Amino acid sequence: MSNSLILAEATGTWPYVAAAWAVVFGGMGAYAFATVVRGRRLSKKVSPEKRRWS
Amino acid sequence: MLHDAWLIARKDLKLEIRSRVALNQVVPFALLVLVLFAFALDPDRGLLEKATPGLYWIAVLFSGLLAMQRSFAVEAADGVTDALRLSGLAPEGIFLGKTLSVAVQLLVLEVLLGVGVAVLYGTSITGWLLLLATIVVATAAISTAGTLFGVVAAGLRVRETLLPLLLLPVLAPVLIGSTRAFEAALSGTPSEGWPWVGLMSVFAAVYVVAGIFGFGPLMEES
Amino acid sequence: MTTETAGPLGASDSGPTSTGSRTTLILGIVTLFALGVLVLFGLILSPAEENQSDAVRIMYVHVPSATLSYVGCFLTAIGSAVFLWRKSRWWDLVAYASAEVAALFTAFTLVTGMLWGRPTWGVFWVWDARLTSEAMLMLLLLGYLAVRGIAADYEVRAKRAAIVGLLLVPNVFIVRQSVQWWRTLHQTPTLSLSGAEIQGLMLFSLFTGFIAITLSFIWMVIHRFRVAWLEEQVDAEGLDTAIADRRAEGVVS
Repeated sequence: MSNSLILAEATGTWPYVAAAWAVVFGGMGAYAFATVVRGRRLSKKVSPEKRRWS
Repeated sequence: MLHDAWLIARKDLKLEIRSRVALNQVVPFALLVLVLFAFALDPDRGLLEKATPGLYWIAVLFSGLLAMQRSFAVEAADGVTDALRLSGLAPEGIFLGKTLSVAVQLLVLEVLLGVGVAVLYGTSITGWLLLLATIVVATAAISTAGTLFGVVAAGLRVRETLLPLLLLPVLAPVLIGSTRAFEAALSGTPSEGWPWVGLMSVFAAVYVVAGIFGFGPLMEES
Repeated sequence: MTTETAGPLGASDSGPTSTGSRTTLILGIVTLFALGVLVLFGLILSPAEENQSDAVRIMYVHVPSATLSYVGCFLTAIGSAVFLWRKSRWWDLVAYASAEVAALFTAFTLVTGMLWGRPTWGVFWVWDARLTSEAMLMLLLLGYLAVRGIAADYEVRAKRAAIVGLLLVPNVFIVRQSVQWWRTLHQTPTLSLSGAEIQGLMLFSLFTGFIAITLSFIWMVIHRFRVAWLEEQVDAEGLDTAIADRRAEGVVS
């Protein structure tokens, strides 16, 4: 297999790799962010002595 | 426990016979599904006959779902659930009784749908033993799982939409198994169908156990 | 990278106003570091594979996601079982939190699987046994989460959800078995690493993937658990005030 062919194949799959990693990292980041925001909003409504972590 | 089951099953079936909802609404719906499949898949292309096992079991599942919805709708109305709970009947008995009444209704539906596909789709029926075994085991699987998830969804405002969402993915193995077994029977290679009957038996056994243990806590305060 | 993983950093000031704590802060930092190492090895240092070329890099996030979707599912079943056995609310919330995170990872598995399939098989979806079981797992988890979302008393909701959660494991087993039998009749290629020569840096990248994604999973479950716990407290307080209000009304009228 010639080098140019390998290169063509490689560039062909990169967008899929990028998309897959973006979905996983973006998804985890978004979920983590949403969870933290929700937690902060809820924490305001709960008195500190009822929280069991410090 | 078995006595209680018998009581519940008789009560439910009597109710169904008297109210005739199953007869007047569920059975016509099942036949309607068969006709709709014929409209969707042009009868002249021979697709109907080829796809008979799948179409048959989809029709059973969808019309069976209606029957199961009813099985708990009759309890939830008028606070009969409370009456059942206070009746002192064993929860396991209630589960088995409900399962039995659903199974009987499913069997009636299956026989009618079987006649329906034989007549309407022109499917020639072969491999009787495997067909019967599949029907018995699949009915047991559908009615046990249906009864258990039926009580999970019972009495909730969203029960009509929740039950299909819970039940249909769970019943996917039964749909795969019963369809493959029917295909094997109709194509004259029954030996390929028996492992599926085995798989569905395991499924039914799991749900009988789960129902017997799970119904107690579910009946307590639901 | 920094913007995408803002979550763990956001929890850094663990005052009394968040779901963060010292432990989760340290865990978050370690997680971020591991994710950085994963990017370094998975995307930059490791070579392309002979048959799959660069598509093999999708595996470094796909395989750990798939594994953790099943781990989350098991955790839900365990939580549900302990809840039914001991009436422990703590375990009930563990079941809830891990089911939601498991659903997220199942979604990752499906999307990355499809993105792997397009360049490798030429189509996004094939009725491959593993991919199909993963899709069924997604539907089962969505069913469980639907039960969690119903508007009902805590007792009713938790008990019903626990039954559904406990049945997740037998269901997953039976579904996997049936889909496997169903598919082996047709012999489709399986989304796996078996065909690939995985060694050296590639193996190390996969290993890093497992560590980084597992740490992220743990971090997310802990925080989601705390959110669920706070929700419970708010609900309980809301109920108390509602009852108090009702009583006050009763006195007036």
